[in-house]
Amino acid sequence: MSSSEQNQSPDKPDSLSDNTTHFGYKTIDKEDKVSMVAGVFHSVAKQYDVMNDLMSFGVHRLWKRFTIDASGVRPGNKVLDLAGGTGDLTAKFSQLVGKEGKVILADINSSMLNVGRDKLRDKGLVQNIEYVQANAQYLPFEDNTFDIVTIAFGLRNVTDKDMALRSIYRVLKPGGRLLVLEFSKPEYELLNKAYDFYSFNILPKIGELVAKDGDSYQYLAESIRMHPDQETLKVMMDNAGFEQTSFKNLTGGVVALHKGYKF
Amino acid sequence: MVSQVLTSTLEMVINKTLALSASNTSLDKLTQKTLTLCLEELGFPLSFSVCNTLENPHIMVTTLTECADCTIKTSMSTLQELKAEQQITELIKQDKLDLTGDIKIAQQFASLVENLDIDWQSELAKHIGDIPTHKLILLGKKISTKVEFATKQINADASEYIVHEQRLIVTRSQIDQFNQQVFEVSKHVDELEQRISQLINRKDLQ
Repeated sequence: MSSSEQNQSPDKPDSLSDNTTHFGYKTIDKEDKVSMVAGVFHSVAKQYDVMNDLMSFGVHRLWKRFTIDASGVRPGNKVLDLAGGTGDLTAKFSQLVGKEGKVILADINSSMLNVGRDKLRDKGLVQNIEYVQANAQYLPFEDNTFDIVTIAFGLRNVTDKDMALRSIYRVLKPGGRLLVLEFSKPEYELLNKAYDFYSFNILPKIGELVAKDGDSYQYLAESIRMHPDQETLKVMMDNAGFEQTSFKNLTGGVVALHKGYKF
Repeated sequence: MVSQVLTSTLEMVINKTLALSASNTSLDKLTQKTLTLCLEELGFPLSFSVCNTLENPHIMVTTLTECADCTIKTSMSTLQELKAEQQITELIKQDKLDLTGDIKIAQQFASLVENLDIDWQSELAKHIGDIPTHKLILLGKKISTKVEFATKQINADASEYIVHEQRLIVTRSQIDQFNQQVFEVSKHVDELEQRISQLINRKDLQ
């Protein structure tokens, strides 16, 4: 599962030149990644929630709930749900920040944003949510705007993760915090093997059956493997200026929640 | 993630229960208010926030403590007593709970629970039909009556035992004392027996 897409690559392995990045296991031109990731998410947007439940056996709801619990959100807060996709986090934040608060659901992909907007409106969540189509690398917000920024299952799709982290840092208020919920590296070898088998053999088949798009889910599995592990991402957050950075492994490290503050 | 499993289950149960309540359980007064419960038995807090951004206000359960308007620290056993709104002050006096923040919030939450009025029978009938529900309820009542009777009987027997029987029961020290006395009597009898046999011997010699 990954929520919307933000297009970029993270850490730059030595094999990559300045103009290339990863798209799953493929090396491509940086400028092509946005459109390629966009293609994936335009394709899966309508089945996105169903696929998330199927692929994670519903556990993604607990991961997101964990993120909310770790956010320290208060009524009146201004929250940016970046790469917010179909709005699972936005829905919860919207209720917790209340009428005085505000939640911005931002995603680079218009299809995901449309699905998210329809879903939230159907739930009656209209009062304090705004929708913005935005690239995580170039956030169209003023400096020091948000109390909380979250990016759930979106960072690995970003073309230049360092740039996105710096951009997030800029829009956070002093005292604000970033929460990155993302697939990571399982802590145990046995789990890692089982997870690999599931990701490369079963996941694309589920994608083919349900979303009629096995390739997108093949990309999902590959993009997870190319994403920086827990420690690397923590260092990237430190480098972007975040302080008191930490991470918590969930489900044996299949997913990790990174947290960092701007002071 | 145990806490997330618990909070998500609680949230679902609470909101379904509120929806079933026949009384007009109004959450309006509690809109945007949060009650945080810190139970001794749990390693994490439980926060109940009344949200009004949906058409119908509902309760969100999280482990967030940042937005608490009222925090109660207590134990599971005291929770039952909290159902009665008037009990709160009494429980504070008894040091059974520690409350910080606005006590009215706690009282309003308690009142919300106290005023729940759910017709479980008709709700069940919607799912399994009238006759099975009727039979199930009858069976439930029978079991409940028997359990109640058995409980009363056990309580009565226990009281009887404590009040009357226990007094008649020989205590350990009494048994020890009795054993000591038997031992001494036995010793005396042995001595007497020995003396008698000595006397008989003496008489035979004469």
